[in-house]
Amino acid sequence: MARNFFTVMRSSAPSSTAARPSTSSTATAPPPPNMKEAAAAGVGVHLDPSLEAVRHDLTEDIEMALELRDVSVFYGTFQAVDKISLPIPKNRVTALIGPSGCGKSTLLRCLNRMNDLIPGARVEGDIRFENRNLIDPTVDAVEVRRRIGMVFQKPNPFPKSIYENVAFGARINGYSGDMDRLVEDALRRAALWDEVKDELDKSGLALSGGQQQRLCIARAIAVQPEIILMDEPASALDPVATLKIEDLMRELAEHYTIVVVTHNMQQAGRVSDYTAFLLAGEERVGRLVEFGPTQEIFTNPLDQRTEDYITGRYG
Amino acid sequence: MSAAAPSAQLTAYAPRVRARRSISVGFMVIALLAITVSILMLGALIVEIAVDGAARLFTDGGAVSVEARDGSIVSDLPTPEGMGWLRWVLPIAILLPFVGPRLVHSIMADVPRITERVMGLAVVAPVAVFLHILYVRFESAYFIEYAKAVDIDGATGNIFPLFGEASGFQIVRLVIMGIGLPLALLLMGWFWSHRMRKPSLLIPAILIGAWIVYLFMDPWFLSSYPSRSPSGAGIFSAVTGTFYMMTITAAIAFPLGVGAAVYLEEYARRNWFSRMIQVNISNLAGVPSIIYGLLGLQVFVRVLEFERSVLAGACTMALLVMPIIIVSAQEALRTVPPSMREAAYAVGATRWQVVRHHVLPYAFGGMLTGNILAMSRAIGETAPLIAIGALTFIAFLADSPTDDFTVMPIQIYNWVARPQAGFHEIAASAIIVLMVILLLMNAAAIIMRQRTRTDW
Repeated sequence: MARNFFTVMRSSAPSSTAARPSTSSTATAPPPPNMKEAAAAGVGVHLDPSLEAVRHDLTEDIEMALELRDVSVFYGTFQAVDKISLPIPKNRVTALIGPSGCGKSTLLRCLNRMNDLIPGARVEGDIRFENRNLIDPTVDAVEVRRRIGMVFQKPNPFPKSIYENVAFGARINGYSGDMDRLVEDALRRAALWDEVKDELDKSGLALSGGQQQRLCIARAIAVQPEIILMDEPASALDPVATLKIEDLMRELAEHYTIVVVTHNMQQAGRVSDYTAFLLAGEERVGRLVEFGPTQEIFTNPLDQRTEDYITGRYG
Repeated sequence: MSAAAPSAQLTAYAPRVRARRSISVGFMVIALLAITVSILMLGALIVEIAVDGAARLFTDGGAVSVEARDGSIVSDLPTPEGMGWLRWVLPIAILLPFVGPRLVHSIMADVPRITERVMGLAVVAPVAVFLHILYVRFESAYFIEYAKAVDIDGATGNIFPLFGEASGFQIVRLVIMGIGLPLALLLMGWFWSHRMRKPSLLIPAILIGAWIVYLFMDPWFLSSYPSRSPSGAGIFSAVTGTFYMMTITAAIAFPLGVGAAVYLEEYARRNWFSRMIQVNISNLAGVPSIIYGLLGLQVFVRVLEFERSVLAGACTMALLVMPIIIVSAQEALRTVPPSMREAAYAVGATRWQVVRHHVLPYAFGGMLTGNILAMSRAIGETAPLIAIGALTFIAFLADSPTDDFTVMPIQIYNWVARPQAGFHEIAASAIIVLMVILLLMNAAAIIMRQRTRTDW
């Protein structure tokens, strides 16, 4: 079932010179946009909305945690994301990459209904999660957010003790077990326990930036979610703290499905199993360009724009 | 820069470092001595109180009641003349210890920090304790003498019965005198030598200010009811009426105002309706207070039949300050960053849980600050209370919210309007009292804002 969903679209043999494979819906392939020239001239690239995104074969037979079908996001009258279809493989790290303003974070925030909180935001399409559409208004957004946790770009611990930071989610969700053990377990998994075990009463704000971010990850883990969304979790951190977060993401991927938005190409290459490349045209509507195993996206991209982006020639 | 230069500097500095250390040891010895003395004096004070009985602390500068031998209470004795000199001397004496640490500091420019702190305490503590003992001894001795002088047969030391009239005020005074003053002096010395953090200085400064005002003033003025003669008139009923009304006003306006602010900020959708409410709240904040008075007169006094009671006044005042409370509470809620709400939502909190566990606690300090500022506006309002008919001559304390009452601005207004010069003078005194209360409230608001500020 999962494999059916993203049938391989490519019809011609991949080559580095081919701009994009022709699809059945278009009789003649559009002229390949010249990225270098466009970028040099300072004009945005026009994306043809009728074109389908390129999808690679999955190298493994794997269950899907989420499946996005034609997901579009609107802020009022402005369309931020246009008809993105994307699978999120279970217990893997999936990276969303692309230049600023291409709708990566917007898309990520759809996955746990965080866009509900923004007045005027509207999501269309289908996000399959255990055979239900997450976007459906009848689905309880609070329950969705408990099962799909989130870590934000800027570390945002509560101005409470470290213990309370971690325990909060479990407490409000009616956790009745041993709270001390849960807190310890979450902090251990977030690789923070050894640093803070003697000062759990200290304010979460007193920690360093990297520690704060790991505290936020512990907080997300403590409610025992199935999926963790990370919105550029290391962009506000120094290289050492970044490395720790990346190691942590690899470890967490054994138990959780992780979707991470990142600007950092090397980071995507290091931590992710699958990568989706998004791009916005000059009308600033984000579209999916290419999705596949990270290895393939980085070594053998099918779309010229993906290649230009990951080689640093564009974006 | 040559390699020799740093070492040359080091040798140049070495003797000074040593010298400083020896000064520090000297200071420590003095400081320890001073602290020992002050502890001994404090102990002596405690023993004295225990031996002489706590009643001595309740002696009062003006409102003298003396228990005669037959057990009857002779009260309302006239205030004696000529014994008030200590009231003038004491404030000057109090100022000295604050200059002290500063002087020491300016002489010994490089005193190490710890020594500086200890010195501050060491200078202030014994002086504070000594002054306190002096004052208590003076008052109690003075009143025993006085009771003999006015020829009350067999006057006892129990000059002011603990549970007699106006004892609540006496207890407040005991707190200011017995605990507040030494504490204030200690704190002030501590903070002063502690690199002078200005907001922290406020608390002791306010306590001392209140104490000085109290010393300069005839305490009888605070504890007496209005009278036909200016010399006998006081603002006891006005002060208690003010506090009574303010308490009820806050109890009504704060929950409603905070609730409205939470609704508008956290729950209401941004549409024409919420915008209309918002605009109207801002408008209401600018409505003249007399209009609220007329509204209160019709709604609370007449329709709801509260009469001219504390409750009617408090309800009117609550309406008056509600817009201020709502707007300031909204401001406080807006200072909580959206990332905190997102963080809470992201672990599966409902909207109410986000508000209850995060937004409200983080914004509460700001809300309280706004509430105090709103109260300090209400405390000076006269017009709406005159409109609802609060009285000006109240010779009793309100027992229940449905009793008649008066407040300080009305009392002042009444006195100023009288032709006799004596009333104008006591009106000025009452204005000072009102001003001190206002300053206290505003200072409390500032302190609270400082204390509850979170650096996100």
